[in-house]
This record gives sequence, structure tokens and C-alpha cells, in this order.
Amino acid sequence: MNNGAGRRINGGAEEDDDEDDVNGDLDAWERTYTDERSWESLQEDESGMLRPIDNQALYHSQYRRRLRSLLSTAARIQKGLIRYLYIVIDLSRNALDLVDGYLNQIPSYGHREVLILYSALSTCDPGDIMDTIQKCRKSKIRCSVIGLAAEMFICKHLCQETGGTYSVALDESHFKELILEHAPPPPAIAEFAVANLIKMGFPQRAAEGSISICSCHKEAKVGAGYTCPRCKARACELPTECCVCGLTLVSSPHLARSYHHLFPIAPFDEVTSSHLNNPNCKLQRNCFGCQQSLLDPGNKPGPAVVCPKCKWYFCLDCDIYIHESLHNCPGCDSLRHS
Amino acid sequence: MKFQIEDVTVYFPYDHIYPEQYCYMIELKRTLDAKGHCLLEMPTGTGKTIALLSLITSYCLSKPQSPMKLIYCTRTVHEMEKTLAELKILHNYQIKHLGPQARILAIGLSSRKNLCVNPTVVAAENRDSVDAGCRKLTASWVRALASENPDVAMCEFFENYEKAASAAVLPPGVYTLQELRAFGKEKGWCPYFLARHMVQFANVVVYSYQYLLDPKVAGIISKEMQKESVVVFDEAHNIDNVCIEALSVSVRRQTLEGATRNLSRISQEIDRFKATDASILRAEYNRLVEGLALRGNLPITDNWLSNPALPDDILKEAVPGNIRRAEHFLHVLRRLVQYLSGRLDTENVEKESPVGFVASLSSHAGIDQKTLKFCYDRLHSLMLTLEITDTDEFLHIQTICDFATLVGTYGRGFSIIIEPFDERMPHIPDPVLQLSCHDASLAIKPVFDRFQSVLITSGTLSPIDLYPRLLNFHPVVSRSFTMSLTRDCICPMVLTRGSDQLPVSTKFDMRSDPGVVRNYGKLLLEMVSVVPDGIVCFFVSYSYMDGIINTWNDSGILKEIMLHKLVFIETQDVVETTLALDNYRRACDSGRGAVFFSVARGKVAEGIDFDRHYGRLVIMIGVPFQYTLSKILLARLEYLRDTFQIKEGDFLTFDALRQAAQCVGRVIRSKADYGMMIFADKRYSRHDKRSKLPSWILSHLQDANLNLSTDMALHIAREFLKKMAQPYDKTGSSDKKTLLSQEELEKLGDGSMHEMSY
Repeated sequence: MNNGAGRRINGGAEEDDDEDDVNGDLDAWERTYTDERSWESLQEDESGMLRPIDNQALYHSQYRRRLRSLLSTAARIQKGLIRYLYIVIDLSRNALDLVDGYLNQIPSYGHREVLILYSALSTCDPGDIMDTIQKCRKSKIRCSVIGLAAEMFICKHLCQETGGTYSVALDESHFKELILEHAPPPPAIAEFAVANLIKMGFPQRAAEGSISICSCHKEAKVGAGYTCPRCKARACELPTECCVCGLTLVSSPHLARSYHHLFPIAPFDEVTSSHLNNPNCKLQRNCFGCQQSLLDPGNKPGPAVVCPKCKWYFCLDCDIYIHESLHNCPGCDSLRHS
Repeated sequence: MKFQIEDVTVYFPYDHIYPEQYCYMIELKRTLDAKGHCLLEMPTGTGKTIALLSLITSYCLSKPQSPMKLIYCTRTVHEMEKTLAELKILHNYQIKHLGPQARILAIGLSSRKNLCVNPTVVAAENRDSVDAGCRKLTASWVRALASENPDVAMCEFFENYEKAASAAVLPPGVYTLQELRAFGKEKGWCPYFLARHMVQFANVVVYSYQYLLDPKVAGIISKEMQKESVVVFDEAHNIDNVCIEALSVSVRRQTLEGATRNLSRISQEIDRFKATDASILRAEYNRLVEGLALRGNLPITDNWLSNPALPDDILKEAVPGNIRRAEHFLHVLRRLVQYLSGRLDTENVEKESPVGFVASLSSHAGIDQKTLKFCYDRLHSLMLTLEITDTDEFLHIQTICDFATLVGTYGRGFSIIIEPFDERMPHIPDPVLQLSCHDASLAIKPVFDRFQSVLITSGTLSPIDLYPRLLNFHPVVSRSFTMSLTRDCICPMVLTRGSDQLPVSTKFDMRSDPGVVRNYGKLLLEMVSVVPDGIVCFFVSYSYMDGIINTWNDSGILKEIMLHKLVFIETQDVVETTLALDNYRRACDSGRGAVFFSVARGKVAEGIDFDRHYGRLVIMIGVPFQYTLSKILLARLEYLRDTFQIKEGDFLTFDALRQAAQCVGRVIRSKADYGMMIFADKRYSRHDKRSKLPSWILSHLQDANLNLSTDMALHIAREFLKKMAQPYDKTGSSDKKTLLSQEELEKLGDGSMHEMSY
């Protein structure tokens, strides 16, 4: 039942590999009548004609809604960036005990979290589950559950008690969305929200072809490893904690990447079509990101967004790319340089 | 919040109100204005109680010159406490806004078992022994004795209460039973007698149905209530049965044996009194010559039960000469008991009208009708004279006299049925003689006549037009409200076919068909694998439940069910069932999941809530018709047809469907809750059955869900559960408001005013 899962430091949106095998299971997952009812998503326009289904716009509006809901709460909150997150796939309560045991040892600057992906409708526990939940609560482990079938009282109770979130996936895409919701770091727990200096090592990547015994798998490996700067032990992947001296090993891009969680780009405002026609903004007929025209094939103004800071216009694709992958606004950055 | 309904300012203790609560209040207000009776159906979980309380108290506040009193009848002590707790919130709110002039006195009245604070008395195990224990310490002759002899035990709480005399009053406020006990303990006054005394001054009295409907109790407790009172029967869907039970008596062999023992004890007592103090018996004789009207002057502690017949039917004349002397009365009772035991010896089922029974009684045992009528009062008087305090020992002879008085008083609406054995177990002789009342309107008539407004309300009163006929009254308002919901949180389904597409039903000719039993098993099995936490499964009867579970056990279905969820079963034993329920809840809490097998019309179906995760799905297996071969039911049906022109089929369907609605209604107790209901019988898809369900269920029963097979139901269940697990907005979207704030309500009020004026 409890396939334990990997531990991540600074776990950004990197849960995908674990998620994959779940999705594999979900191939047969709810192929129900509704999936085939494509006719229900048809819409009529004012004259009674069928309107083409605009997936692009639909997707974009969904994305914007999500962005807004994420950022509305995010103003100036200290966030727990260093997360020790266990992903448990289909839990027994035993798993919760295990996780509690593992997470108890980690230092207080790290955030202890469990994300449980759960499709069963019942649990069977070795001890009293209520005690386990209280234990997790005491050791400040934030437990979140994503259910796949229906709402269960015990999961809800667990999440409520430990400050996690509980959600139930409707279908595959919703499930993905729910998992991604866990990617941005949660607000820091008040008691631990003190400034802390953390010792970290930035190991060098070992030369190609060098042979050494890695400390995590206990076997000889050729090339592609990292050497701990303090004890020279070899680790296979970053980020991790050195098995020998316990130093936190990260690479600088990891740290840099988590930066955007602290200072996210403000969401872009939507541009009304009248605004686009305004002769004063004649220059911005093109997207600042990709330089594509913002006009429709019929030479009418299409949908566009504007950065509230630098006032440059962007197309929808660039909007998504900037907020989800790039995490830098090209307009603002170029402004700074000049 | 505070708002206006016509000329009444309503004080409502919460910031938001449901639209249906508002409508409910408007209808109530009209009823009160019209000084008539009404019948209102509104689903549970919509805040019926608070709507009722806040309107009626606000109505009283707006009309300070009329001495209106609210009598609120509940079925259980638990409901009584809940009502009082709600009233308390309301009262605090009203005081905050209106100041001390809004003060009222509200008390709950229950039996001594629930109110006594004397540790030696309340330790007794049942109600009757607590009553008797109290009487042993507080009866007038015991207290008279105690004043001479200090060794005789008395109840200090009662003594203190008596000493305080007129100073013993409750300050205004709302008192739950617990607070009443605490108050009594603190002051050293008996809370029970204090409550009984305060009932006549209280603005709101909350007590059980029996205190108004059962003439034996009502005669003592409720006789001083003024006409302007408003009487509320909450959860009143079974009110006709309560009325009938109040006037029905059954006599078994044990009753007769016990009565014989009682009689010999009484005769010993009489002999003892004759030897020591014959003057007491003579004094009683003289009193009886003058008539029984002396009852009213009895001290409060000696007054325990009054006549079982309704107040209008009690003769106000002297006791007939042949039972005035104690010995003679005893002879009459002996002959009566002998005659009854002779009748019980019969081999066949016998049915007789009271008139016929009285005739044969008079020819065989020489007891005439008038003598019978006086039995109860005569016995009461005799027991007082003989200074008997352990009244719980004398229940048997009381039952016999109860029977005699009723049979002597009523010629119509009753029948006497003697059954030598239970029809379901013909090999075990268990003779029983039943005097069963068929006419629910008899017991409730005095209530309708006496009080200005009687409100009958419940979550399930459908079909609402049948109740006025059954209870024989004319409501000024009868309405059924639906629930306004932010999301479709109830999902009723009618399942007509099993997984193999064959029809399922508990019809008599189909119920034991192995295919049907297997299909029901498969249904449950499929459901336990998709529904989280608790499932409740109702069967039509204990015997059917036993049979079907046995078959499931043999075919291994039960084992498979247990892989997913634990199984708990309701039994006729209360303790066992309570334990099962406790463990069921624990299993639901801990995430193990559980199924509860229960029986429609059982204790669980009537009183236990399976809200939230304790009941995500309720399956009603079959249509819970009454046992149609029961002689009592047949007699009642015949009477209903002859007197009220209600067809047998109509009544049976009505009765079955209200039970079914009651069962499935267990899962929804609030709007935030959600649950599914499966009616698993092909007969539910028929219009005549279905249409009798309450409108709040019907409005959610989509046409697509009327004729499902197991696999389709399974699919719907999956979708529904996922949809319900999503977060939602509690106040509802702007076009469909389900929570109204004060401003919105005022706007609504203006709007409806406009509509009315046009």
C-alpha cells in the first residue's frame, strides 16, 4: 500500500516523475459517458448559429483565474522555501507514521509536508488514527490530500488539523491542476518564521568518465555525479543532503529558481479592444515577447494583455510562458538595462 | 437581524436567514392572525425550530396585551433540550435589542426521571420506579407520618420547596432541563415540582407529546393552560400514531397474573385497615357518595394519573353504588380479571366491537357499562385511601382499569381484538387482548378545541392533504416548502433493476426470489466500493432483514462487503443497538467506513441522525408497508374507509411512503451536508407511490433517475460524490440566493409588497 516516495529539497514543480505512474493508472480512470458528450460543450451565438469551440481562449481564461487566486493571497508573506515533502501514493496510515518518523529529524527551517494521493475509500490503521493525526499536528507536518474518488471524512479531518488542503479530482486535467497547486511554497509557519542561516554546500559536478562509489546507492558509478565540498562523498542527484556529513547540497540554479516564489511577477491586465484601437498606442501592434502581430486575421484587434509596470503588450501565449516558465518580464528587464 | 413581517417586528438571532424560513414565518404569522390551525412541511436542516420560535415570541412581544403562551411539544428529551438551547440564543438576542421588557420564562417539563435531583430516588432504573420512589418520600400521608416520627424518610428537596411556598419561583429566563436541575440543587428545591408549578406562569413550555395527547397525563399537567396558547407539534409526521397509542391498551397473560397479585395485596391492605382504622374506609365511602369531583383538591404529590378517557367524556356523577365499598369494588375487579383470562384462552382470533364486548361482559360477569366507566377513578381513590406509595408495583391492575374505563366509555372508533398467538410465530402461544383505537382524531380533538392555534410541522408531512382528514380538523394554512440550496446536495434515485436488468422489489411474491436477493446484495456491494465513510441500509422489517442477511452470508456477499466496510446491524435490543451505533460512528470517523443495517419504523429510523460522513448514502430496500395481515391494521383500515372515506390502498401507501421518506431523510440534517438516497424497488417508479414523497425530495428527483439499474446508479453515485467534494460558495450565486442578509430581505419585502399591491 505505501509506496513511499522521494524527498525533495526546495521542491518546485518537480513532482512530475511520481505523478507519471499515477497517471498511468488513470488511463482507464473514469472513461464515462460524460467524456463522450462533446455536443454538450457546443454553444450558440446570438443569431442561433453554432459557435466554434475556442479551446485556446478557454484555457487562457482558466489559467488567468488560477493566477489571480494564487497571487491574491501572496502579497507579502514569508514563504517556506525549503520544503521537505513526502509524496505518498495511496496511503495506509502506517505511511503517516513513517513520514512522521522521517520528518521529525529535519531541522526547523525546513518545511515538513506530506502530499497524499489517494484513491481508496477506506483506511485501515495499526494504531489509533486520531493519535497519529495529533502527532503530525504537534510536529507541524502539513498534510495535504488529493483524493481521486470521493470526499472522505478522515482525510478532511487530517487536512484541517494539520493545516493542509484537501481536494478531490474530477478528471485527469483537474488532477494535474490540483497537483500543480502544491508546487508554489506555502506560507511559513509563524513559529518557525525567524531568520535562519543555513549551511549549504554547492558541489561540483564530477568529471565525465570518473569512477567513484556513490554514497546514496552504495555502488560504483561512472561519471555524472556531484562531490560534496566538505567530505568529498559522491551524490547522484541534487538537491539532497550529504549521506556522510549531512550537509545540504544544492546547485545555485536551484536557489535562483525558487526566487520567483518570493517575488512573483504581477499578473498582466487584460487589454480591452477599444484600448487597442486607440491611436495613442499605435506602436504596440505587436507582442513585445514574440513580436507576432496582436491583430486577428481580419485585421481586428485580438486578445492581449499588458504588464502593469512596463506597459508593454503581450500575446496570450507569451503571458502563459512568462508566468509559468520564465518568471521574468522581458519588458521590465529590458527597461532596467537601458 | 431584525425585520418586519406585516405589523410584527421579528427578532431573528442570526445575521442571515434562508428564504424558506422567511416564507415559513409569513405563513405562521397568517395562522396566528387567523387564530386557526395549520400544517406546515419544511425539510429538516432548514432551521424550522428557530423560525418558529422567533416568529411566535416576536408575535407575543408585538402584542403585549394578549396573554399568549407557547406550548412546544417534542418527541424526545433530546429534541426538547435542543429546542430550549435555540430559544436561549434567541432570548439573549431579544434582550440585547429590547432590554428587560423582552424577558420571558421558558421551561422544559419532563418526567421525574429526567428532573429529579434526589440521588436516592433518581438512581432507580426506569421511569415508573423513579415516580414510585418519589411518592414514597413525598406522599401526603408519608409526610404527615414523618411530622410525628422523625425516622420516616422524606425528600429534603421537596420539603424545602414546600417551606419556601409561594416564594419558590423561577426568575425569568430560559431553562433547559439541566439548568433546571442545577437551579434546584443550588436552591435546594425540587426541580420537578417547581417546574410543574411554574408551567402555569411560563411563557414558553416545552414538553413531550404525551403531556397534551395522553388524557392520563394531560388531565394533570395541561389542564390549566389558557385558551390563547399556541400549541406546536414538532416532528409531527407520526402524530396520528401517537394519538392512537394514547388510547390503546393491550392485556396479556402476565398482566392478568400481575393484576391478580395486586388484587390480593389490596385485599390484605383493606383487611389491615379494617382492623386498625376502619374510619378511613368509611370516609372514602362518604366521599364517593358525593361524587368524584373532589379530585381537584388533592395535594400535588398525590395526584399522579388521571382518567384515561378524554375530559369531555368523563361522567360528572357519583360512583355507582355497587363499587362504592372497597370489598365490592374488589369483587368486581376479580370478576373482570377472571372474565378476561377466560377470553384469552381462545383458540381463534376474535374481533369484537366495544359494544358487543360490554354486552357479553355484562351477561357473563355481571358488570355493567357504567361500572366499567368508573373503574379507573375508583381504583385511584382506593389506592389513595389505602396509602399505597409503591405505585410501580400496581401497574397491572391500573392497566386493567384503564382498559375497563375506555371500553365502557367509547362505543365507536375502537375494537377489541384477541389473538391467541403472534401470526408470524404460530407455534408459540402468546395470547393478547387488545383494545385498539382507530381514530386518531379522538385524542387530539380536545387539543384542537381548547387552543386557539395548533401548528403541526415536520420534515415529512406529504401528502399534506391526508393529515387534516386523519385528524379531522380544518387547517387555515397547509403548505409544503422546499429547500433552497446552493448546490444540488441531495441525489435521490429510484433503482428498479439489478445488475442483471431484472426487476427488484420486496413485493410479497418476489421478495424471497434468490435473484432479487442477489441483486440487492450486488447493489450494496457495488455501492460500498464507491461511497466513502458511512452507508445506511433500511429494510422493510426485522424478519426480512434477518432472512436477506442470512442469504448474503451464505452466498459470500456479506464477506465481500466486509472487505470494504464494517457491517453493523440494528436489533430489537436497545443496548445492543446503541453499542452498534457507537462503533459504527467510530468506524466512520477513523476512515474504515461502515454499513448500518436498520429497519424502517425501528428506533434508528425514527430518532437517530446519520448526518455528514455518518451517512453519505441511504439505501431503502423495498417499500416499508405495514404488516397488512395484522388484525389491528385491518380493523383500522376498515374504520378509516367507513368514517373518513380514505381508501385502504391510499392509507397504506401514504403510511409506507412517509416511513420511507423518514428513513432517507436521516442523511440530510443541514444544507452544508450532502447525501444520496436510493429507493430500491420497482414500485417506487410508479407515479402513485412516488408522488407521495415530500416535495423537497421530489424536486431533486430527476426524470433520468427514475428507472435505474445498478450499474447506472453506480455511475451517478461516482459523479455525484466527486461533484460534492468540490469547494463551493455557501451564500449561493447572485441569481439564486440561499442566504439573505437584512438588506436583501428588506428589498425582498418591498418587492413582495409591490406584487401584492398590484
